[in-house]
Amino acid sequence: MSKNEDEDASELKFGEDFEKAKCLMNCEVALLLEHKLEQFKQMSGDSNNHTPQVFEKSLQYVKRFSRFSNQDAVKQVREVLSRYQLAEYELAVLGNLCPETVEEAISVIPTLKAKGRLDADAIEKLLNDLLMIKKFE
Amino acid sequence: MFLKAQLPWNVILSPESLEKGGLMLQRSIIIRLLDDFAVKKATKDLGYYLAVTTLERIGEGKVRQHTGDVLFPVVFSALTFKICKGEILQGVVHKVLKHGVFLRCGPVESLYLSNVKMPDYRYVPGENPYFLNDKMSKIGKDVVVRVVVIGTKWLEAQREFQALVSLEGDYLGPVSSEI
Repeated sequence: MSKNEDEDASELKFGEDFEKAKCLMNCEVALLLEHKLEQFKQMSGDSNNHTPQVFEKSLQYVKRFSRFSNQDAVKQVREVLSRYQLAEYELAVLGNLCPETVEEAISVIPTLKAKGRLDADAIEKLLNDLLMIKKFE
Repeated sequence: MFLKAQLPWNVILSPESLEKGGLMLQRSIIIRLLDDFAVKKATKDLGYYLAVTTLERIGEGKVRQHTGDVLFPVVFSALTFKICKGEILQGVVHKVLKHGVFLRCGPVESLYLSNVKMPDYRYVPGENPYFLNDKMSKIGKDVVVRVVVIGTKWLEAQREFQALVSLEGDYLGPVSSEI
């Protein structure tokens, strides 16, 4: 329990295992799980095998809460966001919530406004970049 | 938050599966891994186990003394889902009670939003109850709400997570339209 008590995403404090992991955006997960579902269907054919509940619920969720659905757009989002100095977690939250204003971005990701991080102009540019990708999806 | 992490795993095969050799052996290992993985469901550190993404490597098999089974150390990458304190996420209301609502987010069914953590919202009873605030913003069944996680709990027996969430903060609350 003590390991988890120190966890706090709003301060970018995560457990050991989390630090070694990569954070994925909902839209990336949607593509992955759709692909897995296809593989599963091909392998089980007519049998009564169903994907686990955990898988089904996750797939439903990411399909509903993906901001981008086109595979190229999803790749672009990852590329564009990676150009900014962001932590894995911050990048994923930005890709998931797509804040509309700088105030909103700072509000949902408090660590962005720390000293030496992105200034308002950089965040504004980042949000516009996301908007552009969405527009041309 | 969805994570992709590399995991070590021990796949144990019975001697019968080994007679096939070569590619069939690798197939048996993979199938066994996928089965074991599906049964695991979740762990406290990485959350809910969703899918195996890539098989990184299969090590040398070691015979286990008493059973004759062979153990293959395997390393693979997996997709998992975990909820962290301080995280901001979107959930869907699936149950409305007098003192709060339950939301679901991905595989987690028990995200509890107490009405103590819904500033200015009051309970409106009826056949389809909901919570309402002065600005006529409604939190009822099937509404999408953006919340902040204030605490999480790992239930060892059921192998699942529960979380306490709140609306206290800017830009939190019901999300009006789907994108």
